Amino acid sequence: MRPPLFALSALDKRFGARVLFEQAALQFEAGHGYVVTGANGSGKTTLLRMIAGLEGAQQGTLAFRDAQATVYEYPEAWRREIVYVHQQPYLFHSTIEKNLEYGLARRGIDADQRRIRVREALEWAGLSDRRELPPHKLSGGEAQRVALARAKLLDPALLLLDEPTANLDGEARQQVLELVTALCLADHTVVIASHDPEIMRLAILDRMVLAGGRIRME
Amino acid sequence: MDLFEPTRQAFALLVSGEPRLWGIIWVSLWVAVLAIGVTAPPAIIAGFALAKLRFAGRRVIVVLMQALLSFPTVVIGLVVYLLLSRRGPLGAFELLFTPWAIMLGYIVIALPILIVFTVATVQGADPRIYETALSLGAAPSRAALTTLWEVRFGVMAGIVNAFGRVVSEVGCALLVGGNIAGLTRNIPTAIALETSKGDFAQGIALGMVLVVLALGINVALASLQGRGGLE
Repeated sequence: MRPPLFALSALDKRFGARVLFEQAALQFEAGHGYVVTGANGSGKTTLLRMIAGLEGAQQGTLAFRDAQATVYEYPEAWRREIVYVHQQPYLFHSTIEKNLEYGLARRGIDADQRRIRVREALEWAGLSDRRELPPHKLSGGEAQRVALARAKLLDPALLLLDEPTANLDGEARQQVLELVTALCLADHTVVIASHDPEIMRLAILDRMVLAGGRIRME
Repeated sequence: MDLFEPTRQAFALLVSGEPRLWGIIWVSLWVAVLAIGVTAPPAIIAGFALAKLRFAGRRVIVVLMQALLSFPTVVIGLVVYLLLSRRGPLGAFELLFTPWAIMLGYIVIALPILIVFTVATVQGADPRIYETALSLGAAPSRAALTTLWEVRFGVMAGIVNAFGRVVSEVGCALLVGGNIAGLTRNIPTAIALETSKGDFAQGIALGMVLVVLALGINVALASLQGRGGLE
């Protein structure tokens, strides 16, 4: 049996007296999609942030491929392969193209390759005509699509999406939903924190429920 | 007192390119620019670290820096004077009454301004900037640079403020520079001297240069902010 791509075990996370996770555990298989659900305040965002190394915990062991770490000593190298997208993504004060190039430049990819991959990602997100625009000229839905494209073109081993359709409605929500579905179908390992019924109904996603400080597979 | 005649003479002095007057302006400029140039990089790094990292004594350092903001520059001048005086710990360098002594004083004045502005700017910055950079694969040092670039107008406001403070201060420059003509006489010390002698034209001319400098720097900053889409 293949080992999981990512595993988290013995996770304890408290905010003061409030216990969010107690001896919680989970694992993600490579190439699978997951939706993490739970009531408001159940810890969906916190869980994704801990997996991305953006937040610590009182205790917990992480395993990614063959390597192991603790939640308070997150390996820098994992950040190149585990990408987290905020619920309301931040786009740098530059052009959309530069935003997409950022992660590629950090990986030492040369300028020609960057241009090609950025162009492909913009086409994928349906934003080719927005290439030169600054972020403040985009709608909420377009900003979310830029953030998805910016994460996707890095081809991460594990992609973490925090409520990608929250605060969106109508056509913008539909477009983001289509991109999220495309990501899940494209053999990426995607973990989505969401309580959007349409995302929760996606048959390609395994469902994880957060309740009572534990993580339950359904 | 007639204000019109000295003001007319001040304009005439500036336009004539009088070497003594422009020498004073030059001393002010190069000493202040170099002091800020030397102080800004480490102060901004320290400000970022104080804003982002959690370590013992952090709060004490921030409070100390804030307290230094309201220190009279003449007291800073006195401390620098004692350090550089012949019997002081830095006396062997023989820097007292040289432009380098003024620069040292300027560094002590500018350091807390730059640190406090950077701390406030970074603490007020959207935390998603640093997290997004990290999550896209940036090393922590690179994510810090990205954050500083995103909040560059706040950091630049600190630099402008520090420059404005040092280029116009008189107490420290007078004490440690000695107001020596052609060597350490700068705009504020020259204004103080010429006004005490009753030569208002030169004082007004130098005052105008200071005002133009302050306005010019602030207009440049506002223009950059506009171009950055932050208007």
